[in-house]
Amino acid sequence: MMQTAVEIRNVTYRYKGAEAECLDNISLTVNAGEALLLCGASGSGKTSVIRLINGLIPHYYHGDMTGNVIVNGRDIAKTELYELAGIVGTVFQNPRSQFFSIDTDGEIAFGPENIGLDPKEIISRTEVIAKQMKLEKLLGRSLFELSGGEKQRIACASVAALLPDIILLDEPSSNLDWETIGQLREIIGEWKRQGKTIIISEHRLWYLKELMDRVVYMDDGNIVCEWSGAEFENLSEEETKAMKLRPAAVKEQYAQMFEEKADSGTFVQTEVSDGILLRDFYFSYHRKPYVIGKKRFSAADGEALNLCIPKLFLPKGKVIGVTGRNGTGKSTFLRCLCGLEKDCTGIIVSDGKEYKKKHRIGFSYMVMQDVNHQLFTDSVEAEILLSMKEKDEEKCHAILDDLGLLAYKDTHPMALSGGQKQRVAIASAVAADAKLLLFDEPTSGLDYAHMEKVGELLKQLADSGSTVLVSTHDPELIEMCCDYILRIHSGRVASFSKKSE
Amino acid sequence: MSLKLDPRTKLFMIFVVSAVVMMSATTPFLWAVRIAMTMVPITLLILEKHYASAFRFLILYIIALFLTFRFLSEQSKGFLMAFLVGYCSIIVQFMPAMITAWYVVRTTKIGEFVSAMQKMHVPDGITISLAVVMRFFPTIKEEYASIRDAMKMRGIMLGGGNAVRMIEFRMIPLLFSCVNIGDELSAAAITRGLGGKVKRTSVETLKMGPADHLLAALFTAALGVFVVFKYVK
Repeated sequence: MMQTAVEIRNVTYRYKGAEAECLDNISLTVNAGEALLLCGASGSGKTSVIRLINGLIPHYYHGDMTGNVIVNGRDIAKTELYELAGIVGTVFQNPRSQFFSIDTDGEIAFGPENIGLDPKEIISRTEVIAKQMKLEKLLGRSLFELSGGEKQRIACASVAALLPDIILLDEPSSNLDWETIGQLREIIGEWKRQGKTIIISEHRLWYLKELMDRVVYMDDGNIVCEWSGAEFENLSEEETKAMKLRPAAVKEQYAQMFEEKADSGTFVQTEVSDGILLRDFYFSYHRKPYVIGKKRFSAADGEALNLCIPKLFLPKGKVIGVTGRNGTGKSTFLRCLCGLEKDCTGIIVSDGKEYKKKHRIGFSYMVMQDVNHQLFTDSVEAEILLSMKEKDEEKCHAILDDLGLLAYKDTHPMALSGGQKQRVAIASAVAADAKLLLFDEPTSGLDYAHMEKVGELLKQLADSGSTVLVSTHDPELIEMCCDYILRIHSGRVASFSKKSE
Repeated sequence: MSLKLDPRTKLFMIFVVSAVVMMSATTPFLWAVRIAMTMVPITLLILEKHYASAFRFLILYIIALFLTFRFLSEQSKGFLMAFLVGYCSIIVQFMPAMITAWYVVRTTKIGEFVSAMQKMHVPDGITISLAVVMRFFPTIKEEYASIRDAMKMRGIMLGGGNAVRMIEFRMIPLLFSCVNIGDELSAAAITRGLGGKVKRTSVETLKMGPADHLLAALFTAALGVFVVFKYVK
């Protein structure tokens, strides 16, 4: 007989202060050694199921709960959280906010120290785990220097250091790029070989192919459907779309686009008659361009440059997808383009006018990944008016209406949902009259329905005459809305072409 | 070369320097002691290869000292002078404490710090709270940088010429994101067993070396000098 690792019995749960139940009489049994995928739209209750199993519900997030959760024979409601530490481990979504230490070694040792293990044992465990997960290069570093993907690997290692039988992952790939998602897949595969019970809640489904034994689909606090892993992979695209899920596999043409391949020769582009010209975009983080007086970078500086784009035409009124791995210069490119990096010498030419330095801000506008940093006022309307040089309430209402936000014009931006906040940020970009709109990974961590909405919105912005640049790791988004694809590699344009149909 | 100090020595340094800045230096001798004390963390920062911050602090400090001794006296009048007096006395008085704290935060691992506090039998509640504060400094810096970027993008760096809004625009998003990060951080920490009844262990082994004893002795002496000159004589 199979051993049961997790048993959820008729659980109904409502967060304190919430109006509706977020879990509605849920029952779920997970066998030891099984790999289970929880999928479904945002707000369908996936994260709450994860929290039931690691005990954060009811011990950390208070609310009304009925029913029982039994993990490894223990009743969660009657077990203290610290007793669960060695049994259930959780990898969370945001790499920024789940580490406690400043250095990598300390982070891996943190859990074992908490449960009072002998220091010698902790050190030997750290070594074993670092070897298993190929983390040797990351040991002894400051966590604040690491990229999101590296942080997430350290998070996995620090969970594994407690040797839990059950590992939960809550949207672990949200902030990762193509390559680090591959590494995450390897880690999950390794855990599976070790016979651990794995439960993942996720929107990105393609990277879990062939890893999952069972897939559970949730909607509105209920478990609606269940498949075996193989059955799930055989679902057609129409079927997954109907459930508002992202596709279970990536089309070959997009997979190739993300794979790092050696690029031959330098990139030359023919002139486009009606386009935005980017000229002399050179930038380096390491060497300040001031030696004596002001030294200008040029293409001759070669390797020292983090960004080197002598000339590039962007076709107007199109959506251009910007791809490339994390840390290869995508964000640098966007930051230089919109004028946030003052030392970048680039000039934007549009309709015969030149925009230099500060004037690039104003012509272009970047919607950042974390929209919480971009909202400053106490109402949506004020937020839009803040962006306008000449306050025009009528125009403001028109913009809000276009984006479906008019009903919320008096709401505090922080009280909105994530998707709505993003739209407010976009609305203020439109209000600022920017011709070049830049989006930094707008769809990481979004479910299919929200991603579709963002895709439509980007198209709509392009159709109304703006040029849209969007950096992304989501092949689904590129398929949905991009007209062109710009691939950046080590700060250079590796390729720029029309999306092949 | 790097000098690894015991966190307890570092905490003692903070304590002494903070105490000394509270007592005003009146004689050239006391000034000399205080300046010498300030040079210690600067030297340590250089040894730890934090050149940029060391020199920034050093230059600010030297300028302030120079201005204080060369130009300012009790008879200084006028707006510019008042401004300079304010600037210089803040730098000269508080810079030593700030730079020591900066040195400690930049060079102490959280594990070491927690282990040191445990050795001094400080209750876990206090230790963990202080550790979280240390963990949060770099986070606040990161968050603040992104907020400034967003403000630049929207052209509201000066809050539309309104000083209150200038601060409001910076503080409100910062508070929101710190609260969110703090909440997620605590959830992550307790699922990894923080706050249990088990006695925590630590992989960091602490030992006071010769450098620790030397620095502790020097700082004790400096404190002694100030106390004797100010209150005994």
